[in-house]
Amino acid sequence: MNTNKRKRELVTEFSPMIEKPHPMLKLWILVLSVIIAIGLYAFYLQFTQGHQITGMRDNVVWGVYIINFIFFVGLSYSGAFISGILHFFNTPWKSSVTRIVEIITVLSIIVGPIFILLCIGRLDRLYYLFMYPRIQSPITWDIIAIITDLVGCFIYLFLTFVPDFAILRDTPDLKVPNWRKKLYRFLAINYRDTDSQRQRLHKITRIMSKMVIAMAIVAYTVLAWIFSLTLQPGWNSTIFAPDFIFSGLYSGVGVIIIIMFLIRKYFKLEKYIVQSHFVMAGIVLLVLSLLFGYFTFSDYFAKWFSHKPADINLLNTLFGRYFWQFILANYIGVLVPLFILSIKKIRTIKSITFAAVVAVLGLWLNRYLIVVPTLETPYVPIQDTRPEYLHYTATWIEWALSFAGVAAFILFFLLIMRLVPIISISETIQHERGQNSKQDESYNY
Amino acid sequence: MRTKFIQYIVFPLVIGFLFNLSAYAQDTDLKNYRVRFGLTTVKQSDNSRVLEASFIATNKKDRKDRVPVYEADINFYNVTETEDILLGTTKTDKEGTAQLTVPANQAYVTDADGFINLKAVFDGTDGLDSEEAELAVKDVFLELNLKEIDSVKTVILNAYTLDSLNTKIPLEDTEISFTVGGFIKNLPIQKGTVEDGQLQFKFPENISGDKNGNIDVIASIVDSDEFGNVIQKKNINWGTNKIIEVESNKLWSRVAPIWMYIVLSILLLGVWANYAYSIVNLLKMKNEGKELE
Amino acid sequence: MNNKNSENGGTNRRKFLKLGLMSSVTALAGTSLVSNLTSEETTNTSGEKVRLLTPDGKMVEVDASNINKYPEALVTPAESRKGIPDRKFVMVIDLSKCKNARKCVESCQRGHQLDYNEEFMKIKLIQDNQNTSPYWMPKPCFHCEEPPCVTVCPTGATFKRDDGIVLIDNERCIGCKFCITSCPYSARTFNWEPKAKFENKDVPYSPETQVPAAEGTVMKCDFCPDLLRQGKLPYCAQACPMGVIYFGDKNEDIVTNGEETVRFSELINNRGGYRYLEHLGTKPNVYYLPPVNRQFPLERGFDVDEDIIDRYKDVPYVQELKKQGKI
Repeated sequence: MNTNKRKRELVTEFSPMIEKPHPMLKLWILVLSVIIAIGLYAFYLQFTQGHQITGMRDNVVWGVYIINFIFFVGLSYSGAFISGILHFFNTPWKSSVTRIVEIITVLSIIVGPIFILLCIGRLDRLYYLFMYPRIQSPITWDIIAIITDLVGCFIYLFLTFVPDFAILRDTPDLKVPNWRKKLYRFLAINYRDTDSQRQRLHKITRIMSKMVIAMAIVAYTVLAWIFSLTLQPGWNSTIFAPDFIFSGLYSGVGVIIIIMFLIRKYFKLEKYIVQSHFVMAGIVLLVLSLLFGYFTFSDYFAKWFSHKPADINLLNTLFGRYFWQFILANYIGVLVPLFILSIKKIRTIKSITFAAVVAVLGLWLNRYLIVVPTLETPYVPIQDTRPEYLHYTATWIEWALSFAGVAAFILFFLLIMRLVPIISISETIQHERGQNSKQDESYNY
Repeated sequence: MRTKFIQYIVFPLVIGFLFNLSAYAQDTDLKNYRVRFGLTTVKQSDNSRVLEASFIATNKKDRKDRVPVYEADINFYNVTETEDILLGTTKTDKEGTAQLTVPANQAYVTDADGFINLKAVFDGTDGLDSEEAELAVKDVFLELNLKEIDSVKTVILNAYTLDSLNTKIPLEDTEISFTVGGFIKNLPIQKGTVEDGQLQFKFPENISGDKNGNIDVIASIVDSDEFGNVIQKKNINWGTNKIIEVESNKLWSRVAPIWMYIVLSILLLGVWANYAYSIVNLLKMKNEGKELE
Repeated sequence: MNNKNSENGGTNRRKFLKLGLMSSVTALAGTSLVSNLTSEETTNTSGEKVRLLTPDGKMVEVDASNINKYPEALVTPAESRKGIPDRKFVMVIDLSKCKNARKCVESCQRGHQLDYNEEFMKIKLIQDNQNTSPYWMPKPCFHCEEPPCVTVCPTGATFKRDDGIVLIDNERCIGCKFCITSCPYSARTFNWEPKAKFENKDVPYSPETQVPAAEGTVMKCDFCPDLLRQGKLPYCAQACPMGVIYFGDKNEDIVTNGEETVRFSELINNRGGYRYLEHLGTKPNVYYLPPVNRQFPLERGFDVDEDIIDRYKDVPYVQELKKQGKI
């Protein structure tokens, strides 16, 4: 089989995406930049006027920011987990989705921690975390875990990019500016796809894929511990870490499906991202919706059944003030995807994507219901407090920054897609090579 | 809605509250005030004597409205038949009190009945009349003995005055209160009356004392017409010493439990060693490629 | 905003020191000193006025900060981590005597330069269950033996000292608010906005006074170690007209409310003392005496401003009283 010829074919196929931007893309970049600019302005206001311009107050000291933080870090973790699994088991249909997953992993671990920084009152003293670290604090663990995870994800992403950089470098007729050719040459680190190089790359990718799974689980567990190691009703629960692990996966798979759908549609990759990918991901989502529902139910059921006063207080709030949010997050967010995905007949690309959207939104709301109502129902009842401190409502500043975070995520995604083909060329070739060799083996019989 | 609430309800309320406060603004006319000037004395355990004059204007209508006189010069005298001996001068503080500590070696002149006559004087200015307060006290001596009698911790107090020939005259019918010294206030342990110059009682069990179990036992005569205030104290190691140990290496202490350092180091070392291994391999790969070129 | 009355409050301790230096001179200058004090007071006031009579018969009103005597040596953040040697501070709150007079709250606010609706001490109206009668419960920081807030602090900005007091060093605090969420007693507050009083640099900062406060950092009840170093009771205990709040040293086993001095162990044992939410295992250093044989009917506590009553509007008992038209 002629690998080089196939490489060239694939490059020609994907080069339009890299060479000249889609006319809509420029518009998108503009719109996203405006959203980010508004977010930056909101940040400027928050930095100069203090946190009073957010909805956070003495009781609910953490708001939408920390929810976005959990959400994005969860996304990254589930990306790492899924990508690690795909590599580790060498899943046959992985070649079209791995790159998407890997980019999600790295981008969300960059965007997520920005949100935790927004919660911090004194950003000018951030370096104190390293000057006066306290090993006992779960925040310290979290910082260590996130930095380690970030570095690991970067290395891993780079490992998977190297062969494609090499291919792009070896395609001289690619119509891209000179600096990008230089960049490809630099990033390809002399990779010539020799046997020894390929084996070496394969070896460390395999190790890193395991590493990244472990790191993801540790990092996300530590994040869950930030809540579950406190004494607060609703947070102090041993189920939190595993619940976070599975709900993170739930949202992660949901986002992957949504992004697959968008990329397939707008970049005309129907040939590579096919229905079977959606069905596969849909089935994973189905299993995860069951697990997520199971964990959520277990958590709330135990609270309801044992009815400790503080827990009952919390449940009353959830079923009172937050009734509709609770229904949306924990009933609609689980049952609708469950229903759509479990009926084989209606498992179309569109319906699966719809289920994914419901799952992702429901899960975000579920995180909101974990953070805010607990802070609104502490052990000692909130009294003798100014009335405006009783409840939390996010202000436009917080929403502006939240949307800026999402916009930054999309913008970076689009920019990376301009740099490298979104479908991994080397993976595709490897996959085809594997299929050929299998055929050869079957001939030998 | 919320801002309206603040605008229309809270704000006026607070403003009203503020005005209310200023509505209490008291008289400023001195005529409505009665100036009180008083003198007390405390004999301390080292036999020094504190003279304290209090100089406060009180509203005739509202006794709670008290205005201390601040930074007024008060002269303290030992009054004798022939002349007033100046003991010292101090200023009043923000409470309106002026304190003078007369050292133990001061030889007071007493009158025929053995009383020391003391006087505090404010000389008066254009705005404030002169004030004078007098006090006559007998110099009383308290001797505190702390003994274990048949292993019972016993407090024995001897109290006497001296006549002109320095003969001890035992004290009669005088109320004495006993306390043990505390960080903020002293703890009362016993009250009793001296008869024939002596008072004796069993010291209570389970008094903690300081970290070494040392206790200040204090005997005092409070506001007596004859003697003023007298304090005597003695330190003794009778405490049960309930000192509470401070624990360390807890989750909240400065230094973490050791296992935490170990586990964290192992985890981090393992992960970062892997990263390093990957990067080293990448570099090797790069060199291999270079050789090919 | 609605808290102008103490917004730009700044206790000007340096002015006191100036006063101290001047006082020897004033012996010559006569009584001009006090009039100086009053004329000088235009910008920085702690809000607390003290009326005095000058020796020449003038009634003047001066800012308390100018005549209050503070310890000359301010305790630096590093020194304040050590604590007062061989002490173990403890507070006992007698619920049978509390009638929501709020003097503790107000005195604490003055002492720590807090605004009108910032409070370290809060008075809760607690009803344990339907059949028991509600009671007023003053709630300071509990200065726990196992403080969850200190455990979770990533920079060691909040710390527990050997004398049992839990303090915050606002020069170390990064404002992550984790301590606020981890405190099961909601004892901590956050400085959400820049304020003029934070900029008053006349006083060097000390964690023992928490003055001047800083934007974006956490604050809470501190048991007033600056007063303790002078052998005085904390502001709340000093101010309480009912003698509800006893304070003292657990090592020497003595607590006092200013009027009455008793043995801590006897008080706790004889009066059924308990700690709030003992089952959480935080081991508070604040004890409560149960609200038995009340000295005041509960309704006395509603003898406060309308906006204070409004702070209890969510309490079922208050809603019931409102329905009956009693308040």
